Amino acid sequence: MQGPPADPIARAARRALPATGIVLAGLTVVYAWVVWNAPPDRVQGVIQKILYVHPPLAFAAYLGFLITGVAGALYLVRRDDAYDRLASAAAEVGVLFATLMLITGPIWARGTWGRWWSWDLRLTLTLLLWFVYVAYLLLRTFTEGSERIARFAAVYGIAGLAVIPLNYFAVQLSQGSIHPENLERGSLGPGMGLPFLLGVLTTLTAFLFLLALRVDVGELRARARARLERAWARGEAA
Amino acid sequence: MSPTARPSALRAVRVEKRFGHVPALRGVDLELRPGALVAILGPNGAGKTTVLRVLAGLVRPSAGRVEFPGAPRDRRLARAHVGYVGHATFLYPALTARENLVFAARLHGVADPARRAGELLVEEGLEAVADRPAGTFSRGMAQRLALARGRVHDPAFLLLDEPWSGLDPRWAARLGERLAELRQAGRGLAVVTHDVGRAAEVADSFVLLSGGRVAATLPGPSEPEALEAVLRESAAA
Amino acid sequence: MNVFRAILWKDLLTEWRRRERVLSMLVFTLLLVVIFHFALPGGAGPANRAAAPGLLWAATLFASILGLGRSLSPELENDALSGLALVPGDRGYVLLGKATATWLILLAVEGVLAGLFLALFEISIGARAGALLAVLGLGTGGIASIGTLLASLSSRSRFGEVLLPLLLFPLLVPILIAAADATAAILAGDPPSSGSVRLLVVIDVVYLVVSFVSFEYVLEE
Repeated sequence: MQGPPADPIARAARRALPATGIVLAGLTVVYAWVVWNAPPDRVQGVIQKILYVHPPLAFAAYLGFLITGVAGALYLVRRDDAYDRLASAAAEVGVLFATLMLITGPIWARGTWGRWWSWDLRLTLTLLLWFVYVAYLLLRTFTEGSERIARFAAVYGIAGLAVIPLNYFAVQLSQGSIHPENLERGSLGPGMGLPFLLGVLTTLTAFLFLLALRVDVGELRARARARLERAWARGEAA
Repeated sequence: MSPTARPSALRAVRVEKRFGHVPALRGVDLELRPGALVAILGPNGAGKTTVLRVLAGLVRPSAGRVEFPGAPRDRRLARAHVGYVGHATFLYPALTARENLVFAARLHGVADPARRAGELLVEEGLEAVADRPAGTFSRGMAQRLALARGRVHDPAFLLLDEPWSGLDPRWAARLGERLAELRQAGRGLAVVTHDVGRAAEVADSFVLLSGGRVAATLPGPSEPEALEAVLRESAAA
Repeated sequence: MNVFRAILWKDLLTEWRRRERVLSMLVFTLLLVVIFHFALPGGAGPANRAAAPGLLWAATLFASILGLGRSLSPELENDALSGLALVPGDRGYVLLGKATATWLILLAVEGVLAGLFLALFEISIGARAGALLAVLGLGTGGIASIGTLLASLSSRSRFGEVLLPLLLFPLLVPILIAAADATAAILAGDPPSSGSVRLLVVIDVVYLVVSFVSFEYVLEE
């Protein structure tokens, strides 16, 4: 519509779109089939299959928040809007995945431990981080001026990244985890390895696809905005 | 923290600034020298205030740079040599006039803040109201206090944005005299104004900004009529 | 250091003149204690002694929003913040001065609040008052530094008063946990766990460094 994007991040995102889209479609079919046919857990039953969804969502969410913090720091150093668009895109997609993780967590907990919410270590950490990045998006909405939005958001994104380890140690201080121990040692039950691996791959591909889409839209929007503002400026001068 | 080597000039080199996508400055070159006063003229939206804020270090240029030849390389330390009086007064209404100046003097590491504040209050004719909260001041009194605040650390370069606003004729004339004194003392000055008449009185060179560019530079003293003519010309162009 | 001292002096002088932050926070915390009393079965008394440390810190967090929200307003009135941005040297000292003033003001309020809690919940700490003060100081350090940074963001955004708690509280949760843990130990007559004290120190250092370094980017347009 408007030719290729000028900045390398948006160019990479647009080039990645078709590839990640096709891979995502293929992976989703295989993943759904494998999960459907995976043996149900002897103790937990069918509900255990959330294992193939829930932790991968968390990985993707944390990846998003990591990208937001790092891209924000890069923006402050280089002052290139492309980094800011990447940071905000990663925060939006990260919040989406964290939200899904926070929805699937209680479903699993209800089915396995009999209670919706257990204030378990990792769920609590993700909930706290979810608050941080929802606040990050609100800060972007309530601030005026694209340059100030980028600067303020970058500062908050870095603070949000710093709080992750602090939250970890603090929540650990307040309670122990009731998460399945076998998961922590990385030993999945027989027949669980493949669907879990496919879950991680599919979720990360979905993450990359949405991130690329969001970066591309952000870049198009910025260009449209630039044309509009330049037109206003010309109108004022005339 | 006494100012080490004073810079021999304050220079904007091909400075550009965009707010969002709208360019405010499109490559401005400007130099302030000790003992000289540059008047920066131009229509609304020409970028006059922005160029002053860039020189003061309040706005980071999108491209280009600000140089202080002869000063410490660290830009953050070079700020010690610049004074800036903007549209807003930078004053705290809850503090008295004297406290405002003592605070500004302490911020800048002036050796004897109380004495410096006393001197400036006398110079600006505010000694009688020195211990009244600044929030009770009239526009003109606040402007005089703001002018005192801006030069509390006796900067090598003083940047003034519409310094006559709010001043009555008597104090406006005094400001003109003060600027002449500062020039004689070897300070470099830049004044942004709409008032061509006043600019012609105090300045020895003129920079006309238009659309974020330097439209014309008049290196010598000039009559208001001649200035007006050039301004009209650059606006038409 | 000039900058730090000058701003600390100016903020404390302004507060002394108007007393608006101390008074509003004090009245607000007293109100919170009354609300806690009616919200808890058994009231704010010895029956709920175990909840006292957490409530003390919850009240502190809520009150800090009032104090932090007002901490930047004098700087915005005549664009005095630009005046502060003109200072030579590292602009982080501007934040350090303002955060230290807020730290002292918050501590004054917390002192009164802690005294009230000890009386209401009938806890006598005697010689451990110094330890309690140290924990209050450590916990409040992180609130003051990151709080001042975030207040400087929110106060220049729309709906700043609404935004500040949303930005700030998620970052204060680790302080709440560690400080309440340490306070609980002190009120129970034990030394606070080394884990909680160490975490408080780490949080203070991390938040101070993040605030100090990034304040430059908050000020420069």
